[in-house]
Amino acid sequence: MALLVWLESLPLAIWVHESPSVWAQPTVLTLHTMGMGVLVGASWMLDLRLLGIGRNIPLSSFGWVFRAVMVGLIVNLVTGILLFAGRATLWGTAFPFLVKMLLVVASAATLMPLRSYVLHGDPNQREVSGRARLLAIASIVAWSGAITAGRLLAYLVAG
Amino acid sequence: MPSITSFNIAHLHLLLNHVPTVGAILALGLLIVAFVRRDEPLKLAGLEVLFAIALLTLPVYMSGVAAHQKLKNQPGISDDAMRVHQDAALDGFAVTEFAGFVAWIALWQSRRRGRATPGLVPAATVLAILALVIMSRAATLGGDIRHPEIRADVSAASEPAGDPERFVASKISVIMVNSPWAWPASETIHFLGLSLSFGVLLAVNLRILGVMKRVPFAEVHRLLPWGLLGFGANLVTGMLFFIGQPNQYIDSPPFYWKMVFLMIAGANFLYLTVFRKAWPPVSNDAWDASVADKAMAVVSLFSWLAVLYGGRMLPFIGHAF
Repeated sequence: MALLVWLESLPLAIWVHESPSVWAQPTVLTLHTMGMGVLVGASWMLDLRLLGIGRNIPLSSFGWVFRAVMVGLIVNLVTGILLFAGRATLWGTAFPFLVKMLLVVASAATLMPLRSYVLHGDPNQREVSGRARLLAIASIVAWSGAITAGRLLAYLVAG
Repeated sequence: MPSITSFNIAHLHLLLNHVPTVGAILALGLLIVAFVRRDEPLKLAGLEVLFAIALLTLPVYMSGVAAHQKLKNQPGISDDAMRVHQDAALDGFAVTEFAGFVAWIALWQSRRRGRATPGLVPAATVLAILALVIMSRAATLGGDIRHPEIRADVSAASEPAGDPERFVASKISVIMVNSPWAWPASETIHFLGLSLSFGVLLAVNLRILGVMKRVPFAEVHRLLPWGLLGFGANLVTGMLFFIGQPNQYIDSPPFYWKMVFLMIAGANFLYLTVFRKAWPPVSNDAWDASVADKAMAVVSLFSWLAVLYGGRMLPFIGHAF
């Protein structure tokens, strides 16, 4: 709790949360949404491929997905922390927010085994294992859950 | 500096409002001549026009709603007549969007297999006729708003206004505003749809920019229907927001920019659908796009980000929600 209070007292956190400037909360929030589009969109393209959309594309051609995911993750980690810090005591203790964090971590976690599966296999491999398909379904569901939780935060937690 | 919202919105509607009817006639003309002459390229042109009309009908409808909001309290203009017109236009909008959707499927299949599923192009043609009929009714009712002298039934002009709640648009608005879940649920779907569309456009445009060079363009083209699925979800939920609370949008500069970039992004989506250069017999192994096509891919990705920016900035620039 002391950490949350300290976060809230940081000048940058206060600026993001309270400045009327369009570069403060509006821009940070918009970047967070753009990061979401890149991160989830790229991740879903790999999931669709693993589930059979575009069967002829070799799995090894999906290296770009992980670079795009990295960009999205970094943007959203930075903007997410900035958005969190200004209301750290509110978000840090709100159950729906913790659910969102859990879902984000779960979604990102599906990408680790998929990364080694896609990038370290045979460069011409087109068949998909049952386990990779399950991970793809888990990824789609978890990202959908994370977006839903994130969107509903605005309604469930008075901020 | 004049703002994007500083022009007269009723004039914009008067400028745009002939697009759905005249456009449907043009598309139908092309399709009918194509059927008679058995001319495949002409058929595709008819379908392309139909998709473009479906895209342009969005700002036509929205500018009409905006004009209604601006004019509804002016003496001499019947609020009831505008609402009757607006409901008819909503029917026309729905059918036009459906016609554009079927036309798009036919275009996408034609690019992949050389021809669309039998029956699909006739279905698009019938839908275009239906859209023309329903839009013509909306157009007639729209003309009646300021031209009571040309009304078929002059007596109806003096009828007392009915209950405004009887209109479909009003009913949608009541649900969107009063239901505790309708707005949040639509927003959630809007964000999911955004991610899906953006993911598809990212993959296709990155291929044009030279990423995944080993992958034939036809393989990323396979993803486009998923992009349209996301876009369709966002069209429906976006319209629910707009009809639900039009006053949050009609004066908002980011919303106008959002629509401008949506038209650019939509035109690009059509271009990617019918894109010919990367297909056989052109060798599609490690196919490299021209500089112009790469520039177009950059414009496309920029436009989608601008659409997203305009939407996300709505509560902050111009109007507070």
